[in-house]
Amino acid sequence: MTIPTFILRNALRNKRRLILTVLSVSVSLALFTLLQAALHLLTREKPMNEESALRLVTRHKVSLANVLPEKYIHRIERTPGVRAVSRFTFLGGIYKDESQTRFAQFVVDADRIFEIFTEIKVDAQQQQLFQKEKTACIVGTKLLERNGWKLGDKITFKQGLWPVNVEVLIRGAYTRASPDEPVDENMVFVRHDYFDDLLGKLGLVGTFWIRAESQEAIPQVIQQIDSAFANTSAETKTETERAFQLGFVSMMGDVKTFFGSICAVIVFTMLLVTASTMAMAIRERSREVAILKALGFNGTQVFGLILAESLALSLCGGVFGSLGIKVLLESLDLYKLSDGNIQMFPVPWQAVSLGLLVAFALGVLSSIVPAWTSIKTTVVEGLKTLD
Amino acid sequence: MPKPIVQIRELSKIYTRADNVVKALDNISLDLIEGEFVALMGPSGSGKSTLLHIIAGIDRPTRGRCIVQGTDVGELDQTQLADWRKDHVGFVFQSFNLIPVLTAFENVELPLLLTSLSSRERRAHAEAALKLVGLGDRTHHLPKEMSGGQEQRVAIARALVTDPTLIVADEPTGNLDAHSAADVLTLLQTLNREWNKTIIIVTHDPKAASYAQRTVHLEKGELLNGDGQHPSPHISNLKSQTS
Repeated sequence: MTIPTFILRNALRNKRRLILTVLSVSVSLALFTLLQAALHLLTREKPMNEESALRLVTRHKVSLANVLPEKYIHRIERTPGVRAVSRFTFLGGIYKDESQTRFAQFVVDADRIFEIFTEIKVDAQQQQLFQKEKTACIVGTKLLERNGWKLGDKITFKQGLWPVNVEVLIRGAYTRASPDEPVDENMVFVRHDYFDDLLGKLGLVGTFWIRAESQEAIPQVIQQIDSAFANTSAETKTETERAFQLGFVSMMGDVKTFFGSICAVIVFTMLLVTASTMAMAIRERSREVAILKALGFNGTQVFGLILAESLALSLCGGVFGSLGIKVLLESLDLYKLSDGNIQMFPVPWQAVSLGLLVAFALGVLSSIVPAWTSIKTTVVEGLKTLD
Repeated sequence: MPKPIVQIRELSKIYTRADNVVKALDNISLDLIEGEFVALMGPSGSGKSTLLHIIAGIDRPTRGRCIVQGTDVGELDQTQLADWRKDHVGFVFQSFNLIPVLTAFENVELPLLLTSLSSRERRAHAEAALKLVGLGDRTHHLPKEMSGGQEQRVAIARALVTDPTLIVADEPTGNLDAHSAADVLTLLQTLNREWNKTIIIVTHDPKAASYAQRTVHLEKGELLNGDGQHPSPHISNLKSQTS
């Protein structure tokens, strides 16, 4: 027998209580990790990848609800440091009925969009068809599968945001260029010229999406575009893709405080559960602790045994909860399970590490009081305790 | 003259509970000789267990000194005391006090985890101790799978596995039937006679005390001599030894 074996035997003595405690810590830590992952996803300052870091969005300075003249594209194109630019407008049409329209449609420039979103992969032939046919559209592979669409199918988006019905032919399906790319395969791309025709050549655009030559060029590109349209009737605001996304998140309010409060409640509840379990476990063993002390275990060693047991319990919960939820979410087809509502839910290692760190802290904190009580109780007092 | 292994000098233990002051031990002086088998006898509340606890280093005197093999145990702090107990004292309790989740072998091996012995050496020591108490074939049994007598023999094996200076036993037969009690006492007697172990037992049973070489009587915290007189002849010699 070794000290770790002894700790393990002690931890396993009341299996039902152990299982229930580990389960409650696991479930709480899984929820904590999920919230941390969501918070990371929503508030992360860094872009998803290098490609994303090169993308910029130009929108109306006042708000996203205001549109820009499409002719701006020519000025943007000429800006030094811009490699490609595409008109990019949210169509917001309705497919069949609102309940079935759980995907976004965007109006783009067919010949440029794939230069900007390089993490999207489309068959070259399908790409050519999209560029040739005005009424062609490209859809995400998952969306294609979910709706049972086939290439060549005609789909109609009834007027939603814009006062036009858009009837398009599916000419291609895009997928992610590599399995690690966080690409939403749940969108539809429609051609801008076709949409503009339907609108009666109004020449309106929601946003312009730009791919910069390099990261170094970005500050200059932003400054040059916005100053080019300063003092016009439609001034622009150009920002990085990530800043643009964070703008959406900020519309939801103070997400950090909201998620942080829920996490704090979870951690506090877990602390109560584990502290109560450890207190019960050690109180039941007051006599045994006294025996250990009589046999020559000193206060530090007794504290070490209790701490190790508490850590084993909480870290077990941490591994099952934090690591388990990552493995689970990565192995499940969330898209199918959520009926297309959740495309993917990446759990970053930072969230898992934070979960394990919380588990570690729980282990330490929940053992302090019972360990201290055990150390302070004399051998004689401990031996008088009833079994 | 044989050298005393335990020297107790003018030892008192006073408990204060609210307004009550209880003198558990009152100015006791006593010597125990190396290799002696001593029984501390007396009625409930006489202070025999308190005296045993102080000798074993799990309680502290209020006044006086308790010197075991040259170490004044009252002078040691908690960590030093724990360390001292590990090397010098083997405990046998009335209710056996084995760790229920450990097998007989593991219970005996437990004190050895605090030593620098290798796993193989620990195994050898624990097996030898269990064989010595006649339980070589019960090594993998849990306490709940053994009789009271067997549990107490495992406790004795645990007490002697570190080869301590003293083996202290607090009412070791209190929870046993007559047959098992006789077995346990015979075992303690054998350890004393054949292995020269210094053994101190606390008992209120004269039959149990009869296994010891010497009986020390206590009453109301004071020592009585062998036939109930006070002070005991043994103690009267102490003054000349200490002066």
